[in-house]
Amino acid sequence: MEAELEQKYSFEVVRWFTIMAVVYLVVGAFVGVYIASELAWPALNNIFDVPYFTFGRLRPLHTNAVIFAFGGCALMATAFYTVQRTCGVRLWSDKLAWFVFWGWNLIIVAAVITLPLGITQSKEYAELEWPIDILIAVVWLAFTFNFIMTIAIRKTPHIYVSNWFFLGMMVMITYLHVVNSLAIPVGLFKSYSLFSSVQDAMIQWWWGHNAVGFYLTAGFLAIMYYFVPKQANRPVYSYRLSVIHFWALMFGYVWLGAHHLQYTALPDWTGSLGAAVSIAMIIPSWGGAVNGMMTLSGAWDKLRTDYVLRFMIVALAFYAMSTFEGPVMSLKTVNALSHYTDWTIGHVHSGALGWVAGVSIGAIYHMTTRLWHTEMYSVKLVNFHFWTLTIGTVIYIVAMWVSGIMQGLMWRAYDEYGTLAYTFVESVDAMHPYYVMRTIGGAIFLFGAMVMLFNILMTVRKATVSGSLQRARIAAASV
Amino acid sequence: MAENNPFPGENNTGHVWDDNLRELNNPPPRWWMIAFWASIIWWIVYGLLYPMWPMPYQPAEGKGYTQGFLGWSQMKEYEESLAQLEAVRAQYEERIRNLTPAEILQDPGLKQYTLASAKVLFGDNCSACHGSGGQGNPGFPVLADDDWLYGGTLAKIQESITNGRKGVMPAHKSTLSPEEIDRLARFVTNLSQGKATEAGWALFRAKGCIACHGPKADGVLSRLPNGDIITVGAANLTDGIWRFEPGGYESAKYTITYGVNQPGVEGTRNAVMPAFGKTGKLDEQSIKKLVVYVHELGGGQ
Repeated sequence: MEAELEQKYSFEVVRWFTIMAVVYLVVGAFVGVYIASELAWPALNNIFDVPYFTFGRLRPLHTNAVIFAFGGCALMATAFYTVQRTCGVRLWSDKLAWFVFWGWNLIIVAAVITLPLGITQSKEYAELEWPIDILIAVVWLAFTFNFIMTIAIRKTPHIYVSNWFFLGMMVMITYLHVVNSLAIPVGLFKSYSLFSSVQDAMIQWWWGHNAVGFYLTAGFLAIMYYFVPKQANRPVYSYRLSVIHFWALMFGYVWLGAHHLQYTALPDWTGSLGAAVSIAMIIPSWGGAVNGMMTLSGAWDKLRTDYVLRFMIVALAFYAMSTFEGPVMSLKTVNALSHYTDWTIGHVHSGALGWVAGVSIGAIYHMTTRLWHTEMYSVKLVNFHFWTLTIGTVIYIVAMWVSGIMQGLMWRAYDEYGTLAYTFVESVDAMHPYYVMRTIGGAIFLFGAMVMLFNILMTVRKATVSGSLQRARIAAASV
Repeated sequence: MAENNPFPGENNTGHVWDDNLRELNNPPPRWWMIAFWASIIWWIVYGLLYPMWPMPYQPAEGKGYTQGFLGWSQMKEYEESLAQLEAVRAQYEERIRNLTPAEILQDPGLKQYTLASAKVLFGDNCSACHGSGGQGNPGFPVLADDDWLYGGTLAKIQESITNGRKGVMPAHKSTLSPEEIDRLARFVTNLSQGKATEAGWALFRAKGCIACHGPKADGVLSRLPNGDIITVGAANLTDGIWRFEPGGYESAKYTITYGVNQPGVEGTRNAVMPAFGKTGKLDEQSIKKLVVYVHELGGGQ
């Protein structure tokens, strides 16, 4: 069986993407905890008396590390893993997959060097300068092409639902990344966006929100659709539900971006269109959560013993919550309070820590045992990781809810004379305890991620010592 | 297909992937379908009520999109909420406009309004340098004590905020010997502790320091009959309050050597108060309120 799998599928590149995903999870979370500490204790910004480690330089490094380094490696590992298994064929090209691996890691190294140096396009979630943008497009297209060709040569009659979501992500992210990054270079490390003023803002948030919609939602729903039924050994609850919510998400999500720019210089229609579609997207988003959770109906008892399913279900709960919270925040009256506050940061992290990290971590634990043909080094540590993830995330988002709503209320509080009741710096001062609390939540999450890295590396070591991987390879070669 | 189905009797679609992945033929939950259609209706209704669809530009309206039946626009919302606040402020603001800071201080009600209203002005414009309560910061003067470089009367404070201040002190590294600089630094340190020597005073006068710091070294050149002082903004050297941190001998020596705001002198002290009125950053009314606020911080004269 193991030999058969090793022979049939290209697993080596998946193994490397898996390990790198966990490494980048630790790195990204570490930078996150550090910049959270900088906000709580600003003196940390100048601790080395150089600009490279200030909040402004490290914040894009944190977002790029978690979204593109960790998220990207997790997506590429799972996409290459599931597309082979659901198509019943080996990857169309091993060489192209290795090109994607090395290319993607080169991009990450370039980001780690350029962002602290202050080389940036100043576009949120698209900070990397134009030469790196071109490299991203090339590597991403190689990833997409290999994926599509593997589907083209599949031995199964139908395309499995995970692969629709991966494909949707690949097509849309190509389109979004290329258009948003259009720029006129004036040097190797400097370019100017092709768009200006409100158009630039509009394009930027069309990209910004759809990085969330197609990359962090569609991509990770693809992970959910393979690993939840696979791990639970249960059929997906409803085929029709998956079809409807897939197409609703694909057509709906692209309209949302302008809800980030309400009460700005953008014309009124863009903001209210974004808000209206945001609310209309709650139900299609929930389609994935409903389908995932209902897949477990009749198998809920497995949650007591199955550590992978626990991650998946908690991730789906965070997913359902944040896909409700986001649209509510886009309504004008709520947005007038929440915009520019920490509430937004809390919302993003309930999606990022709870959903994206949760579902990826579950998938990585699932894959690890199958890729290295052994059991986890320590199931206790996996369960420990589960609780650190859940508790750390909850502490983080509660801190940001309180801090964000307080900020919003303080900024617009008026006294009996009709003048502002608080200065800006008073609101900053009031946030300090919540910033400390957020740092603690993040540190708990980081600790869990470090435990995971240790556990995965020990599992790999175990596979090497016991020879389980090597046996499977030798057997595969002799089949 | 049914006879090949490895999972018969569970109403799946008949497709199997990766040994055991399959999908059931269940319809979506009823509540979900109802909510799904309701979402689309919501979109349509919201679009009828609020601006939603781009249209060819309508010159009459100055807009190029559907307006929605509610007639909402973000500018209208902004103007309406601002108008509410301005209605509350108007009675005070009108009176302040026609009064001087001194007259505002005479009226307890107006004074209270002005202090409340200037609190945020001070917090957003002044506190970054002078501290949230005017308590100063390293290198930036305290506003809450009675030590003033340019005078603490209402008129002088207004002048400082409106026009800004940029004091100068020559660098003496090429006009005085290191020994003379050292002696002067010791002199002013002793002076601030009430231990000045006659030899020190003699050097202080001989080197022309009194031209700016005044004959008594208290920063005052002369006093007018009405009590106003004539000053060029030079520091009072007698009171132990230092203009530049950390103060004392080393600090004084540095200031004497490199001067203050000396173009072309590397290492010169920088000390600039921006001109909030002249640059248009604050209007006259706001400055008037700030004058009252700063005067009332504790050190007004």
